[in-house]
Amino acid sequence: MTLLSSVTGRLTAAALLVTLAAPASAQETPQSGGVANVAIQPEPPGLMLPLVQNAPTQRVAGNIFEGLLRYDTDLEPMPQLADSWEISDDGLTYTFHLHPGVKWHDGEAFTAADVVFSADVFLRETNPRTRAILDHVESIEAPDDETVVFTLKQPFPAFIQAFEVGTMPMVPKHIYEGTDFYNNPANNHPIGTGPFEFAKWDRGSVIELDKNPDYYEDGKPYLDKIYWHVIPDAASRAAAYENGTLDIMPAGSVENFDIPRLSGMDGSCMTEQGNEFFNPFAMLWLNNREGPTADKRFRQAVMYAIDRDFAKNVLWNGLGKVPNGPFSSTLAAHDDDLEQYPYDPDKAEELLDEMGYDGKPVRLLPLPYGETWTRWGEAVRQNLEDVGINVETESSDVAGWNQKISDWDYDIAFTYLFQYGDPSLGIARTYISSNIAKGSPWNNVEGYENPKADELFAKAAVENDPEKRQAMYDEVQQILHDDVPLAWIMELAQPTIYRCNVHDLITTGIGLNDGFKNAWIEQQ
Amino acid sequence: MPYVSLILGRIGKAVIVLLAILVFNFFLIHAAPGDPAAVMAGEAGATDQQFLDDLRERFGLDQPLPVQLWRYMSGVMQLDFGYSYRQQMPVLDLILDRLPATLLLTGAAFVISLVFGILAGTLAAMRAKRPSGSIIMGLSLLFYATPLYWVAMMAVLVFSVMLDWLPAYGYSTVGAGYTGLAHVGDVAVHLILPALTLGLFFMAVYTRMTRTSMLSVSQQDFVKTARAKGLAPGVIQRRHILRNALLPIITLAGLQAGQMVGGAVLTETVFAWPGIGRLMYEALMQRDYNLLLGIFFFCALLVILFNMLTDVIYRLADPRIKEGVA
Amino acid sequence: MSFFRRFAQNRGALVGLIILALVVLLAVLAPFLYPDSPWRMVQRPFLAPGEMAGFPLGTDTMGRDVAAGLAHGAWVSLLIGLISTVVALAIGVPLGALAGYFGGKIDDALMRFTEFFQTIPNFALAIVLVAILQPSTTSIVAAIAIVSWPPVARLVRGEFLSLKHREYVEAARLVGQTHRDIILKQILPNTLSPVIVLASLMVATAILLESSLSFLGLGDPDTMSWGYMIGAARTVMRQAWWLSVIPGVAILLTVLALNLVGEGLDDALNPQLARQR
Repeated sequence: MTLLSSVTGRLTAAALLVTLAAPASAQETPQSGGVANVAIQPEPPGLMLPLVQNAPTQRVAGNIFEGLLRYDTDLEPMPQLADSWEISDDGLTYTFHLHPGVKWHDGEAFTAADVVFSADVFLRETNPRTRAILDHVESIEAPDDETVVFTLKQPFPAFIQAFEVGTMPMVPKHIYEGTDFYNNPANNHPIGTGPFEFAKWDRGSVIELDKNPDYYEDGKPYLDKIYWHVIPDAASRAAAYENGTLDIMPAGSVENFDIPRLSGMDGSCMTEQGNEFFNPFAMLWLNNREGPTADKRFRQAVMYAIDRDFAKNVLWNGLGKVPNGPFSSTLAAHDDDLEQYPYDPDKAEELLDEMGYDGKPVRLLPLPYGETWTRWGEAVRQNLEDVGINVETESSDVAGWNQKISDWDYDIAFTYLFQYGDPSLGIARTYISSNIAKGSPWNNVEGYENPKADELFAKAAVENDPEKRQAMYDEVQQILHDDVPLAWIMELAQPTIYRCNVHDLITTGIGLNDGFKNAWIEQQ
Repeated sequence: MPYVSLILGRIGKAVIVLLAILVFNFFLIHAAPGDPAAVMAGEAGATDQQFLDDLRERFGLDQPLPVQLWRYMSGVMQLDFGYSYRQQMPVLDLILDRLPATLLLTGAAFVISLVFGILAGTLAAMRAKRPSGSIIMGLSLLFYATPLYWVAMMAVLVFSVMLDWLPAYGYSTVGAGYTGLAHVGDVAVHLILPALTLGLFFMAVYTRMTRTSMLSVSQQDFVKTARAKGLAPGVIQRRHILRNALLPIITLAGLQAGQMVGGAVLTETVFAWPGIGRLMYEALMQRDYNLLLGIFFFCALLVILFNMLTDVIYRLADPRIKEGVA
Repeated sequence: MSFFRRFAQNRGALVGLIILALVVLLAVLAPFLYPDSPWRMVQRPFLAPGEMAGFPLGTDTMGRDVAAGLAHGAWVSLLIGLISTVVALAIGVPLGALAGYFGGKIDDALMRFTEFFQTIPNFALAIVLVAILQPSTTSIVAAIAIVSWPPVARLVRGEFLSLKHREYVEAARLVGQTHRDIILKQILPNTLSPVIVLASLMVATAILLESSLSFLGLGDPDTMSWGYMIGAARTVMRQAWWLSVIPGVAILLTVLALNLVGEGLDDALNPQLARQR
């Protein structure tokens, strides 16, 4: 006991000396060692990322698994498992050169065969989003152990955005080939190539990840361990950060009202980075099929009636952005010249009078994702009632919400959708008429049908010329802006709160989901 | 032997009640909007019909409801509670994993509430006409009327955040790696706030009940006789009044011990206690049918066991019943 | 001694009655004091009590008047407490009466049924019911009633068991009164006093239960109840303590008052016990 504490004391003294000697470089040079305590909520259902696409799973397992590429905060591709890549001029062939000498956590070598298996076999079966992207792919081949070639059916410029860890995580072929993927025993102890390995999971309490000692990037990762704490109550999570148990609070860990207080604490930092790829876009589904919401004037009235700045300032602490149309402002294809719908209750009432709204009540379905969303539902209800729209709130839990949206059983409903870095991946899906089908809460559930918009989205997706593509996207944004198939209410910010002595926590546009490869803790 | 057949009869009835509960809950849960496949698809952020169909087929949800019920019940008959759809683990493993934490929490809360409740109640009865008795009753009324979760929130605020005396949440210190006695101590420290919070309400109930019960027993003839015989007041209090006054409390405590296990949802949520109440709430929200049914089964089983135990204790405590049986 | 004299002798009960009367008054006057919807965002958020004239209790996270919420919430909370108790009595009293009066097989069957509901943990069942029916005032009242009737049935059954062999009941039977008349006119009136006492406590428990459901996010989204107010305030407890303390104290006082009144009723209706105290 005494021995141990004296050793620790000497170490601390030594560390102090170093800090005194070179204060500037101590900030810059990553230090190895240390443990990160991170909040995770809700508890992930499993950590086999290629099998489970749920948000908390991505957040934890992004440390265990890796994709071929990462993306910086401007969404430009960066090397990960692939060192370099080429795209042919006709936009049809994508060639990746893999990093040599990469090993799975069980010691087996990672090769091009694993890539082919992951994309062509495993993910085609298990991941609906990846499946849709791979529809553009004619063939996937491995000419040698370190090269993979994807050949497309037609040009699909967004394809280069599809290689991050959540979309195309690499699966060990030697473990999964020929097995029942869903019942493979390895699912409880996932094997990846990532900087951290699965260690232990006390269900209901904590998930433990250990440093991968054989990681292929020299000196990385810096942290020895990551503990993911499962704490179901937001107020308890805030208390745990306050009393020093937790170091990192990913977006959504605490209620928005708590953010200024926690980020204002001594030694507490906050960043909005790491959100660029997902860029959650909050909107109101407006049922285009029936009821008052079927009338374009009613939908426009909704846009005028909702005080989006109030929501931004009061509910989201001034973070985020009020959108001017269907495309998020971080997308390259966004049209800055689109006219904003201002908060104008009088204009809304005028439109309602013009259409002859008869006071028929509309059902409002809030998103059951915590206090902020509940409050937002209350604010929107009040906004709508102020212009004379009769609103009945229908409360529901997550399962009921999914069911109602998937069955088109709503008038107005809250939701938010990820943009996935490109209109053809994240946006077209909500507006094209071929995507009208019951059973999914993520397709064209509002029932918007416009042949012109369909055509523009379809052509733009496979157009290899950036200028021509932009012209088409500009046109479709204007059409959607006027038709208001749904109400765009906020580009959500996703602030991460953490102790300031944690450095390089977020280095990509995918944020915490990209793992803690570069993160290090400055020791005093 | 009539005694054996009595017990067998009770077990038989208990089994019927348990099965009825399973069937009842089966239909109840399936009546809820949404199913586990829809929830999982919803969380994935992207889905298509094939994905949903695959999931439903894998979970057996594509079968007609009676077939699903039949499969489930025949599994239960062989003590197979099925798989948790979501967590991809046998339901029994998940429940047995969480049960000890809940039993520890509710057990501690139960003991605290019973011991302090009876003590306070006795004290209040003995000082029924003095201010100290009124203060005890006032306090117990206060505890009784304050919402449980509110007490929990305030307790965390005061004792963890402001004073930093006790941990705010969890079952043990993460990463401390304590073993043996150190681990026991660590868990005990984590247990204090949730157990007190959960115990306060029941303590108030027992305090009030003990007092009322003692006051009414003390007016009965056999106590008057004992007094007339000139027995010391302390002996009368302990041997005559308290013993008889405890009978209704045993009954109530037995009923509540079982209820506590399933009713600890709020406490477990606020304190992130990895128990079965929280597991139940999550299973419900995720429509994890098998897991939810399994938890209901175990909660009901515990209620029944506690009721039987109560009967036994009652017989031991009540001299009249003992003589009747003998 | 008359009923009211006996009741008034218990000082606590009088205090309880006064508090309760004030709460009822607040609930009844709510639409006149605050004719606007309590959901209306009227001022800037997080005004502390007394910070601005016209908002004696301040404003909440979205700038809604807390006093208006408290007044409208009194109405909702009391109503939920009362209606769910009435529904629970409507289930429990007949079942208990039939079981106790007829005994035998009927008793056995009815008690098995009651036991069935007592074997599922109350709060868990309430949560499941509200989640399945989807949160609304109706589903919350139904869930509370469904979990709280079994004790009523047991109590009434016990009373019937002990009363059915009394002389006046035997007499009524000899005169040839129907079962219905004997149950309704002879026995039932004599079981009322313990039922009334129990009912006053049930109203209190129902208010607590509603607030717990609201805390878990299972409240009716269209009605402002006290439980809703606490649930909505818990995440801002550190910034604005009054938002959880004000409705918390309101619940506490009301439940306290109901308990005190219940005890007073107990004393007044069971003079035997009252004298012993």
